[in-house]
Amino acid sequence: MKPLSRLSAASDLTLGLIGAILAVAAWEISARTGLVDPAIFPSPSLAIRAAAERLTAETVADNLFWSLLRVFSGFLLGALAGAAVGIAAGWYRGFGAIARPLIELLRPIPPLAWIPLAIIWFGLGEPSKFFIIFLGAFFPVVTAAYQGMRSIDPMLLKAAQTFGLSGVPLLLRVAVPAAAPDLATGVRIGWGLSFGVLVAAELIAADRGLGYMIINERNTGGSVGVIVVGILLIGALNLITDAAIGAAIKRWIGRWHGA
Amino acid sequence: MSQSPVMERRSPDAGVEGHGPAETAFIRIDGARKVFTQRSGGAVPVLDNVDLAIAENEFVSFIGRSGCGKTTLLNMIAGLEDVSAGRIAIAGKVVTGPGQGQGVVFQQHALFPWLTAVDNVAFGFHKSGLAKAERRRRALDLLALVGLEAAAGRYPREMSGGMQQRVSIARALALDPQILLMDEPFGALDELTRIELQQELLRIWEARRKTIVFVTHSISEALMLSDRIVLLAPNPGRIKRIFPVDLPRPRLRTDPGFNALYQAIWNELST
Amino acid sequence: MTRKLVQALPPLAAFTVLLLLWEAGVRYGFLKPYQFPPVSRIARGFVELSTTGFPTGVSIWSHALTTILRVLQGYGAALALAIPLGLVIGALPVVDKLTAPLIVFCRSVATLSLLPLVIVWFGAGELTKVFLIGYGCFWVMLSNVIAGVRYVDPTLVRAARTFGLKGLELYRSVVLPAALPRIFAGARMALGVGFMVIVGAEMIGTIEGLGALIMEARTFYRSEITIIGMLVIGLIGFTISAGLMALERAMLPWAGNLDRVRR
Ligand SMILES: Nc1ncnc2c1ncn2[C@@H]1O[C@H](COP(=O)(O)OP(=O)(O)O)[C@@H](O)[C@H]1O
Ligand SMILES: [Mg+2]
Repeated sequence: MKPLSRLSAASDLTLGLIGAILAVAAWEISARTGLVDPAIFPSPSLAIRAAAERLTAETVADNLFWSLLRVFSGFLLGALAGAAVGIAAGWYRGFGAIARPLIELLRPIPPLAWIPLAIIWFGLGEPSKFFIIFLGAFFPVVTAAYQGMRSIDPMLLKAAQTFGLSGVPLLLRVAVPAAAPDLATGVRIGWGLSFGVLVAAELIAADRGLGYMIINERNTGGSVGVIVVGILLIGALNLITDAAIGAAIKRWIGRWHGA
Repeated sequence: MSQSPVMERRSPDAGVEGHGPAETAFIRIDGARKVFTQRSGGAVPVLDNVDLAIAENEFVSFIGRSGCGKTTLLNMIAGLEDVSAGRIAIAGKVVTGPGQGQGVVFQQHALFPWLTAVDNVAFGFHKSGLAKAERRRRALDLLALVGLEAAAGRYPREMSGGMQQRVSIARALALDPQILLMDEPFGALDELTRIELQQELLRIWEARRKTIVFVTHSISEALMLSDRIVLLAPNPGRIKRIFPVDLPRPRLRTDPGFNALYQAIWNELST
Repeated sequence: MTRKLVQALPPLAAFTVLLLLWEAGVRYGFLKPYQFPPVSRIARGFVELSTTGFPTGVSIWSHALTTILRVLQGYGAALALAIPLGLVIGALPVVDKLTAPLIVFCRSVATLSLLPLVIVWFGAGELTKVFLIGYGCFWVMLSNVIAGVRYVDPTLVRAARTFGLKGLELYRSVVLPAALPRIFAGARMALGVGFMVIVGAEMIGTIEGLGALIMEARTFYRSEITIIGMLVIGLIGFTISAGLMALERAMLPWAGNLDRVRR
């Protein structure tokens, strides 16, 4: 069973690799043959050459650093706050009755729509970016945490009560682990949203970061190649971090939860 | 989930603690009622006026159609469900919540999916004040008692239904409870595993001198195990009849006495 | 009925208290009216927005209409492309494996990061916004359609085989219906993405649409208009999402809610 599934996993990977190579090749060829105008959509080789000419490793690293710092700090605090509020709202009826309608009222507003208000409240600097990335993580996590708490099997709570557990220990030792799978799903969604919000915020109002790097290239009439490389870099970063978070979640709950 | 104090409704002639016919009773249920309040505000009477006395070390089974209130009554003895009226006492002390010597094995195994078998059992020691290593050692002992020491590191989803139910029995035993309350514990198991676990349960019962209250919907299971079989009738739930089982152990399904009782209970259940 | 009213009371009370505190905080100078425009000012702003408009002549309704039309165009185009394509890819395992990493990557590309490139392609006009919405919705929809078709319960397929169903017939009468809940979930997810993208896209280089409205109001220190715009965006998103959910219940009365489907 095991070698077989490993074999098929390997062949999945090969096929995927072949597909990716084919796609890149098709892109390169269509740009070379003039099927698409390389001035507006350069081939990968052209784009990389242009980027290598115009960007230093230092600039890229600096912008990358700022993007990562923003998204990690905002996400971390947003997810923590979301988990705390969602868990509390699911556990304490009174708090839930008041907190939930407020959350439900604000939840349909996309995080990006908070940008102007964030600027009004916190100015144009880092705090306003932090705030909307925070919101990007907060709402998915708070929703998932609440749903997770509400769908705990009551049998588990009863079982724990027979061992004399109640109150906060019951919450922390039984309810929270039981809600963890739902919470994890929310964290994953929250990461994706935080990341999207980050890029948008850097496009709209920033003076550093990867989003700024590409919009600045366009505003100063620079090279399309740099923009393309920047887009791919942001995409790869999103993919890698999402996979890392997925792996961390798997390590955390995968063994007992399956998935 | 909330544990409001038990409502007591003591009639003047109910007498003082310890008097009456069930003087030797270990678990005493007096005029217990249960009314569930629904979301819509309506009240559903689920148990009506249940009187029952269970002696120490006795093995008693509840049997009855599904929905007649067996689980509710068991949960009330466990202190997991309030008593709407009347009272339930263990060793003379009114039940106000869990942790008065009741260990519970639930119908679905109710193991914590994020803990391994040994950690699930060790969970039962968390109020014991024992050191962590000691808890683990004792948990392993209990797993050995139910024949599962080899599966100590497995998570619930990595075990079969029978193994899961063994772990929950071991976990319930961690409290060293005087009373073991079991709600259709073997209901979801295949016949072979079920018979194995029945024998194991009898072995534990005899070795550790427990009082066991056992819910089942299988007549033959009740007959294999119990000293007495309490038959509950629905709408609202109440005790219809009590059958003493005076057959020597180990019991045989082919015993004529076994068959006669089976028939008697069947008749009573199906009318 | 009365029970529901009683349940709604505490949040309503809390909400009212909050608004009153806010109003009082501004009146007694604890909160700056520019940063926290009180309810009374928001109400006046709403009247202005729905009559005179902001900028003058463009009412909130016409902003909303502009935004909705942009979203619907991009969303509709994405669905029209993604659903058939996903149904085909999902049915052909080899194609699915060939395209899987590509689709994952394209989905990971932050939609708004494409903005500088798309402006080079199509200028800063309507097409750019519609394209961005379409891009975001398309990949979310595509991956959900494929997953819906790929992960149909194999027992269902085996059961259908015992009745002699195979090929296209099996696909149409078993695989497709079984995939529908996931497809609907994808449609709802994609709509969320569409609204997210449009708000960002409208903040750059345009004065029409709700995203532009809230950004523009800020530069004129009209924070109450920003807040109204945000609430209207939320309301529209909520209404459409609720509508889709109702549609799903009506069309798939047999299906449970797939709200918490893994992405
Ligand atoms: N929390 C509850 N609220 C309302 N009714 C309940 C609740 N729990 C159980 N019931 C009802 O009480 C009756 C007895 O349930 P239960 O004790 O689970 O029966 P049994 O275990 O004998 O099948 C059933 O009719 C059930 O619907
Ligand atoms: Mg039951």
